[in-house]
Amino acid sequence: MIRTQRTFPADTTGADLRLSGLCKTFATSTALHDINVTLPQGQFSVLLGPSGCGKSTLLRLIAGLENPTSGKIHLGDARIDQLPPKARNLSMVFQSYALFPHLDVAENILFGLSVRGTPKADRAARLHKVAAMMGLSDLLARKPAALSGGQQQRVALARAVISERPVCLMDEPLSNLDAKLRAEMRVEIRALQQRLGLTMVYVTHDQVEAMTMADRIVVMHAGRIEQVASPRDLYAQPATMFVAGFIGTPPMNLIPRNALPGLDAPANATTIGIRPEDVTPLESGAGPQVTARVMAVEYLGADQLVTLAIEGATLLLRLTGRAGALPATLDLRLPQLALHFFDAAGHRLPSPSDLSHPQAQEHDNDQYA
Amino acid sequence: MTTHVRPHSAFQPDRLLFVIGAWLLALIWILPLAYAIWTAFHPSAYETRFTLLAPLTLENFQRAWNAAPFARYFLNTILLVTMVLTAQIVLCSLAAFAFARFEFPGKNILFALVLIQLLVMPDVLLVRNYATMRTLGLVDTILAIGLPYFASGFAIFLLRQTFKTIPRELDDAARVEGCSWLGLLWRVYIPLARPTMLAFGLVSVSHHWNNFIWPLIITSSVETRPLTVGLSIFATTDSGIEWSIITAATLITSAPLLIGFLLFQRQFVQSFMRAGVK
Repeated sequence: MIRTQRTFPADTTGADLRLSGLCKTFATSTALHDINVTLPQGQFSVLLGPSGCGKSTLLRLIAGLENPTSGKIHLGDARIDQLPPKARNLSMVFQSYALFPHLDVAENILFGLSVRGTPKADRAARLHKVAAMMGLSDLLARKPAALSGGQQQRVALARAVISERPVCLMDEPLSNLDAKLRAEMRVEIRALQQRLGLTMVYVTHDQVEAMTMADRIVVMHAGRIEQVASPRDLYAQPATMFVAGFIGTPPMNLIPRNALPGLDAPANATTIGIRPEDVTPLESGAGPQVTARVMAVEYLGADQLVTLAIEGATLLLRLTGRAGALPATLDLRLPQLALHFFDAAGHRLPSPSDLSHPQAQEHDNDQYA
Repeated sequence: MTTHVRPHSAFQPDRLLFVIGAWLLALIWILPLAYAIWTAFHPSAYETRFTLLAPLTLENFQRAWNAAPFARYFLNTILLVTMVLTAQIVLCSLAAFAFARFEFPGKNILFALVLIQLLVMPDVLLVRNYATMRTLGLVDTILAIGLPYFASGFAIFLLRQTFKTIPRELDDAARVEGCSWLGLLWRVYIPLARPTMLAFGLVSVSHHWNNFIWPLIITSSVETRPLTVGLSIFATTDSGIEWSIITAATLITSAPLLIGFLLFQRQFVQSFMRAGVK
């Protein structure tokens, strides 16, 4: 049932997707500013950001459904930004699945092959294989309206897979599914991508999807790239205050430096970041001590989130759910190795936390350029 | 009495009025047809005598059929409606697709012109159209009967509205899968607009089957005349007011539409509902 290898046309095997100087301006607004990023062959890249950040526009530029105002897109050595979508050697899965309601499942899956005039025998063989792989063999004669959301999703995936194209684009494909199904499909899509060696470009606003599936996350904000990194690096060393405040549930505490006068920080650091789970109460250890008032407690079962007030700022603290009732004030330690420093422009400065995750910095720089 | 609304047991004067009105309208509508059927199937002696036991006969049909070249008229009308419908579907789906999905300079002005065509009574243009057909050398041809109706503003408007309701992602998906613009129209837009096409096809066929004044003006020979014109000539030149033969001829000419509607009644009504044509 599972095929471990497959062959792609020679000219695109091992082809990275390179975007350089990409801009997109609409009549009333600029959607993308100077996007430069390389999405490596065979890897799962996620474009992550809040709604309106330009991630879907970027995906549509790659697909050829929109034309860039300026800039280039390369797939391997071939420049593809002026080609129509069908000449770009990629497949796409849409948020609404975009199944053709007048065609049955088999015809939907075979739509692209039939358009391109693939021989009938070849079509049948590929349909058989892909339907078996996606668990759709019994549903081939049904119309999309007679399928559940999860089945429709599989048909959309099958249509992308059967094209046997090396690059697959996905635009929030899981957002219409319920939570349980979404968790299953995350695993399935990731497995599919690895099994087929697809170069995946996946758009989402859901950081859980990004963190669990991606080899590499491209965080976008207001039409610009904030950071490109692996999920672990992104979490350990956010390059900007935006990323620090976006990644993590709850996200990193970002505290004005004046609120923590006792802290040893570089002169140009204006904001100090620390993750809620790194703040340790009532324990001895390295790092300055702060006294905070307990404002609110959210009990979540395994964890509880404590909102604390320190002078002029609030601080979120994650404790295990087993900790008992809390006193009105807490003495906290902010471990030196967990601190992140940001300058006035919101960029990361060399921080003590770099030491706890040393390989990340060079990795980032290498890929971001 | 309680204040509950009980639609079936309580006496409702407005409901009664509706029912009476509906029956009355239906009766008025059916009377000429009923009379035509009565006279057509009975000898001429029973044109105004309605006795239940009057003898039935098919002779009127036979005489009517032989009295005028109805076979030729049928052929002309069938050629006409087929040609008009085919041309309308091809031209208007292309135009509607362009209006629905492309951006081009002057798009709004052009579409406004199409809408204006909906407001102009075709009869206003009879003289102008005749002059045009003359210039083209098409007077007294079947093509000339259909040509003014090929670019139907109604069809363009209707199909554009339908095409616009088709989700953008289907369009995107088909393009990523390799469809050209024409392929997109053929494989996605037209199949999804089928109910609208069917509804429009019915309107178009019945309109051109029954159209009279323009064909009367532009045709002058048996080889081109459609049924309606042939029937009127038959009815006037056959001097004698033999109602039984005239009604038999009328039934002959309208039978295909009537039978077709009865056969496909459900499909027609459904596609009208789906297409939103009233």
